[in-house]
Amino acid sequence: MYRDCAPFNVVLIDYCVPPSSGVEIDHCAPLQTHGTALAMAIREINPSQGMIIAALDYRNAGEVERPRELMHIPLLIDIGNFQLRSLLEKIEVDRAIEALTSSELRRLQQFADLRVWWLGRTARGKTGEDLLHEALLRTLIGAEDTQKGRHWNKDVDFVMHLTGAMRSISSCWKRQFEAAVQRKETEAYLIPALPIHDAEGQEHSPLDNVASGHITSGGLWGTDAAADERLIEKDEEDRVLTIFKDDPEAAQVLQGLLDGLKKNETMPRYGLGEKQYAAAVKRIRVKLLGRKNGGSRGEKHGR
Amino acid sequence: MADKRNHDERLERLMNQLADSVLRLSDEAILAETREVGADLEQEAERTRLVLRQASKALDNVNKRLSNLGHAINSNDWRRGQQGYHNNCLNCGSSVSFTTATSEMQGEALDGLCLESDQYTIRRREASRK
Repeated sequence: MYRDCAPFNVVLIDYCVPPSSGVEIDHCAPLQTHGTALAMAIREINPSQGMIIAALDYRNAGEVERPRELMHIPLLIDIGNFQLRSLLEKIEVDRAIEALTSSELRRLQQFADLRVWWLGRTARGKTGEDLLHEALLRTLIGAEDTQKGRHWNKDVDFVMHLTGAMRSISSCWKRQFEAAVQRKETEAYLIPALPIHDAEGQEHSPLDNVASGHITSGGLWGTDAAADERLIEKDEEDRVLTIFKDDPEAAQVLQGLLDGLKKNETMPRYGLGEKQYAAAVKRIRVKLLGRKNGGSRGEKHGR
Repeated sequence: MADKRNHDERLERLMNQLADSVLRLSDEAILAETREVGADLEQEAERTRLVLRQASKALDNVNKRLSNLGHAINSNDWRRGQQGYHNNCLNCGSSVSFTTATSEMQGEALDGLCLESDQYTIRRREASRK
């Protein structure tokens, strides 16, 4: 029947399925094997088929014996606890991850890196990969609001959904950091912060100019309140513009973007053509991401 | 304070436009840009896919562990805390949490079988044995 009627999004298999129609299930049998045999047969036909095994006669998944090859297949133990919906959603999300093209994945990573770049030190050491990880997790948790999760509306493209999630999560991280600063939490001043660049392009720690700071015994940065404020309000805009001091077109486009100008407003203002504008945007993006990544993004993660 | 807000808004505007420009890039442009920085598109893409898979796996591991112990949780009830996500078993109320960075699990729900699971229902399997 599976072969005749496929494809299926998900196949739900009763663990205690009878061997054939008209034959009653032997609930006293020490081991139920027909459901798992069916799952194995389907797996043979289509190894990527999404499946759920319903074992509603059991108290917990630990009691449900199954072959090693089927251990990755989710079990439905209780129909009443939202379990089925979350299992189905997880299968959909996992499938969407596998269907992402290389270009889409690259776009997602660059989007994440740019959002974290924007966060600067308010990211508290988190990376673009952390942001992407968090966006996916909240999608899987799939609750109603951004504090708990982000349900994926299947009418929305998966890439757009994840970028929307990353936008809101990164904004939330920034607000949390600012709230921590308001509460004068020491953790908000943990050392890692993006380096700043002077007019000669030399890198410096943003902490270099904070006169009254000190490192506590716990490795934390302790400052007085006035120094804290100076540190937080450090002008990142100048930092960005300094990076492009030798590239006038990029600096002009950057100024336009900072001023909130659209492309067709920036181009006549600075006398730029379409190609010059696009090339400048690309240089800005590549340079900012290059500086942020430092060419060794993968080394930052033990995952 | 107003200056700071204005400054934040300008930077956010810049970053939004740059991030959106990435989404508008054609596949060819993405490929060319990736090559230009000396990276391999396929390798980069697979690394990103791995990040997504790992996030999915992290939640999978918690759910499987809880399911093996008979705990039932509402997946919509995960609450974001400072260190990770927290939830409680719907049957016994015991708590569980996991961190997103390391996928480390904690909580009394992981200490043993759910003592309240199936308290009010008699399973067919057991009933048929009687």
